[in-house]
Amino acid sequence: MTDEHQPRRDEDQKEFAEEHASLFKITLGPLIWAAHFVACYGLVAVTCAKGWDIDAVRSGLLVASGAALVGIGWVGWVAWRQWNVAQTGDFVNRCGRAEDRHHFLGHAAFLLSIISAIGVVFVSLPLVLIGGCQ
Amino acid sequence: MLVGAVFLWLLVNGAFYYMSRVRPGAFDQRYARHILIGGGIVLPVVVLTVLLVWGLSMLPDPRRPGDGLVVRVTGEQWWWRVEYWPEGADAPVLTANEIRLPVGQRTEIHLTSDKVIHSFWIPALGGKMDMFPGRETMISLLPERPGTYRGQCAEFCGASHAWMAFAAVAMEPADFDRWLASEAADAVPPSTDAAARGARLFRSEGCGACHAVRGTENVGQVGPDLTHVGSRQTLGAGRLKVTIDDLSIWISHTDVLKPEVKMPTYDLEPDQLSDLAAYLEGLK
Repeated sequence: MTDEHQPRRDEDQKEFAEEHASLFKITLGPLIWAAHFVACYGLVAVTCAKGWDIDAVRSGLLVASGAALVGIGWVGWVAWRQWNVAQTGDFVNRCGRAEDRHHFLGHAAFLLSIISAIGVVFVSLPLVLIGGCQ
Repeated sequence: MLVGAVFLWLLVNGAFYYMSRVRPGAFDQRYARHILIGGGIVLPVVVLTVLLVWGLSMLPDPRRPGDGLVVRVTGEQWWWRVEYWPEGADAPVLTANEIRLPVGQRTEIHLTSDKVIHSFWIPALGGKMDMFPGRETMISLLPERPGTYRGQCAEFCGASHAWMAFAAVAMEPADFDRWLASEAADAVPPSTDAAARGARLFRSEGCGACHAVRGTENVGQVGPDLTHVGSRQTLGAGRLKVTIDDLSIWISHTDVLKPEVKMPTYDLEPDQLSDLAAYLEGLK
């Protein structure tokens, strides 16, 4: 290992650190979706089985759904900015440079936040349309 | 459903034809992106959302309270014990292996089971509902058109599970009321000599130990109530028709027709068999 490789390794480390954070970011949307899913199904099942107040749980879960959508919207917005397609015009980020990887992870996180938002809306629909424990 | 299937078939094959024959070259990237996003994301999301909303709007229906009549069905191996409880009734009208429902009224069907789990299902009228020993479940059905539909046990329940079916008859309310009144009545006495001989045979062979024929000394509760068996659509829970021939075949071949069924096979002379069948067929 010679000295001239040293700065390069730092650069790599910085790059990996960035990607590490971005990888975490792309899981955020689906994580919010998953948490919302578990909360809805678990809480409604227990509420109906135990005879608790379904109206209160329903209202609470609708608020949680709104919060989940706001959270996913925020993740999507951050990802959209990271993707930066409006400025670069590059949809596929085919080149293997750090910048391309950075944009690509933003792209992936953005698409995942869209599917997560759709998932949250679909899971929330029974709260709106069914309402009770029928 | 057929229209939808034809539409999808035309759409897929039309797209394939267009891409392979009409315009085989590479697509403009912008155009291709529109097709992918429109056809791959926007269209499925819209279609699934519409279907989900539609499906969810129907989901509470089978749990809605009925309009008065309650039918209590017990799953047995492998037949259906059926009790009709009209609004305010003190005692049920007992029958078996056939469900009759008034059109335009929501009827609550209370379900339970004798020994194993069964599942009550009339595909034309609604979804499935499991029947558990020692527990009561409920499904309410609202038939919209008169007709005879097939019902079937939808949970494997033993050797003759596949032969545990029934006829579900949706009738106009006035017809239903008339039918229920006649179903509540005692059995008609035998009207022919053969049927009279059959009635004596029914008693002497011990059929009444398991089967009830109301208005006679036969009060068994192990097997289906036969008070009006001659007026039913099927015999042996959907296994045969209620004709003299089929009744004879059933009595002499129960285990062949319905493996492991409790009812033993009766080895009677042909004329005894036809007398017994004539009696049962006459129980309208």
